[in-house]
Amino acid sequence: MNILELRNVTKSFRKGDETITPLHNVDLDVRQGEFVSLMGPSGSGKSTLLNVVSGIDHVDSGVIRVNSQEITSLSRGQLADWRAANLGYIFQTHNLVPVLTAYENVELPTLLLKLSAGERRARVELALEAVGLSDRAGHYPRQLSGGQEQRVGIARAIVSHPTVVVADEPTGSLDAETSLQVQSLLKRLNQELNITLLMVTHDAHVATIATRQLYLDRGKLVEELRVERQ
Amino acid sequence: MFNYVLKTLIRHRTRSLLTVTGAAVAIFVYCIVGSVQEGLYRLTSGADADRRLIVFQENRFCPTTSRLPEDYAVKIGKIAGVKDVLPIQVWTNNCRASLDIVVFNGADPKKIQSMRPVKLASGSWSQFETQRDAAVIGRNIAMRRGLKVGDQFTIGDISVRIAGVFQSEVPSEENLIYTHLAFLQNSQRNESVGLVTQHEVLLQPSADADRVATEIDVQLRASSVATKTRRKGAFQASTLSDLVDLIGFAHWLGYACVGLVLSLVATTTIMSVQDRMQEYAVLQTIGVRPLGTLRLVLAESVLLCLVGGGIGSGFALIALQFGGFAIGAEGATIAFKPSLWLGLSSLGTSLCVGLVAGLPPAIQTARMSIVNSLRTA
Ligand SMILES: Nc1ncnc2c1ncn2[C@@H]1O[C@H](COP(=O)(O)OP(=O)(O)OP(=O)(O)O)[C@@H](O)[C@H]1O
Ligand SMILES: [Mg+2]
Repeated sequence: MNILELRNVTKSFRKGDETITPLHNVDLDVRQGEFVSLMGPSGSGKSTLLNVVSGIDHVDSGVIRVNSQEITSLSRGQLADWRAANLGYIFQTHNLVPVLTAYENVELPTLLLKLSAGERRARVELALEAVGLSDRAGHYPRQLSGGQEQRVGIARAIVSHPTVVVADEPTGSLDAETSLQVQSLLKRLNQELNITLLMVTHDAHVATIATRQLYLDRGKLVEELRVERQ
Repeated sequence: MFNYVLKTLIRHRTRSLLTVTGAAVAIFVYCIVGSVQEGLYRLTSGADADRRLIVFQENRFCPTTSRLPEDYAVKIGKIAGVKDVLPIQVWTNNCRASLDIVVFNGADPKKIQSMRPVKLASGSWSQFETQRDAAVIGRNIAMRRGLKVGDQFTIGDISVRIAGVFQSEVPSEENLIYTHLAFLQNSQRNESVGLVTQHEVLLQPSADADRVATEIDVQLRASSVATKTRRKGAFQASTLSDLVDLIGFAHWLGYACVGLVLSLVATTTIMSVQDRMQEYAVLQTIGVRPLGTLRLVLAESVLLCLVGGGIGSGFALIALQFGGFAIGAEGATIAFKPSLWLGLSSLGTSLCVGLVAGLPPAIQTARMSIVNSLRTA
């Protein structure tokens, strides 16, 4: 079954007189448990695609369905509720709330769901364990390294057991070694927890950790590679 | 989520502290101004102000210049609608407006007890009745001057021994010193025996106050000294008319304080929110509703205002309770008292100011484009 469906999705921006159309009648199907990487030239519309899938930006035309629910027809408030329950978003940088500890940052999304205090704590602890930062729970973002910060961001994205996790250049601002750590973490989350991932990257090496590689250029999506997982 | 608001405010400690302090000072002043207004209102309203008349010498203002025969009391007592009459000799240390006014009222102790709304808090009434130079003093002046039972109190030519301290439901009463009528008459240089400053008239429940007042003035016109009779509230308001104008003006000061808090908290909140638009965009991406971030911003500004307002009004109420402040002129005083209403209204004002101050930036976060705010990293 397709967990994510894009049909004829078009999105354009006006810049003065000219109109840029980063997404032009884009179709996409992603199945449960797939790890999709998305590459393309700078300014091709990769972030725009993630944003419309996340419901933080709206499409001009076309339909996006997640788990059979048509999110393109939801209001702003409904989209927020939908994101709280169904979407995890991994940012490139600057993603943690600086006044909250790692634990509190990961806890944030769970506060938006109806959970018991015990369930909440269990989920936060599990998510921190999954990214290997249980011992840093009480640290503030400024006390963490860039790689650790990004891992807390990943824990926050998976803590509410979302249907889809999107990541916009999750390794974009990390050095080679920490980038490798984050890559293997994402790969593990996909393989062990069967999390559906949609990841934008500039780096062809990073793209190889995905089970499927897509390329976006001039408004069109091209399938590059598809590895069927056993 | 409240945790988040609290931590945000604590993180920017200096900014929050300065804002809270500013709000506290302004609400402190707001409270003091409010208590002055309340004092004035109490003075000119209520049963004590409405159902009692003051008979004063016509065209006279300061108590030292009004000289009525003491035996007018007999004539007034015969007029229909009058229940009782209390001849009072008034002496004050200062006829002009003053913050430390001392007002003596000399009258018959028995009648004071029956006609004035006073209740002894300490000391003994019988000692007051039997001792010629004894006095009972209001709680407020006792507090202000640091006086207690047994003390000797001397001001000008007058020296009294304090036999009791009383409290009253009429706050301005608590600024008075009661002595024997004869004692106060005798202690004055110019011959005052047989003369009093004013007569206080207690009305029958059914009597029409204004009709009785006119009747008193008409009846006494033929006698040696012409009189002017008014309701006590009106009398006090006209006695304090200069101050009433000033106090009326002071309420603008109260509005200015509210404006000050508003602009202070609004500035802080707007600055704080604009610094953190990206953070609110992240929160909304995680799934916080636009109305949710609106509430977070409002919680921030309301918290600043309430903490500041709470501290300011708390200090103001304490100062009013223990300071015994009063302002007076020509023998009438306005007492500044703390009241529940004052506390509640200043907290209510703080709450409203917090909401209004936070609303523009709160709406800004609710309506922002998440994508644009995330892009401006
Ligand atoms: N809010 C906006 N207003 C106007 N133009 C926009 C807006 N957002 C994106 N664009 C334009 O749309 C195009 C696609 O932008 P997008 O950020 O999706 O590219 P990208 O593929 O993520 O690029 P990069 O690899 O540099 O991150 C760009 O040309 C960009 O300038
Ligand atoms: Mg991008």
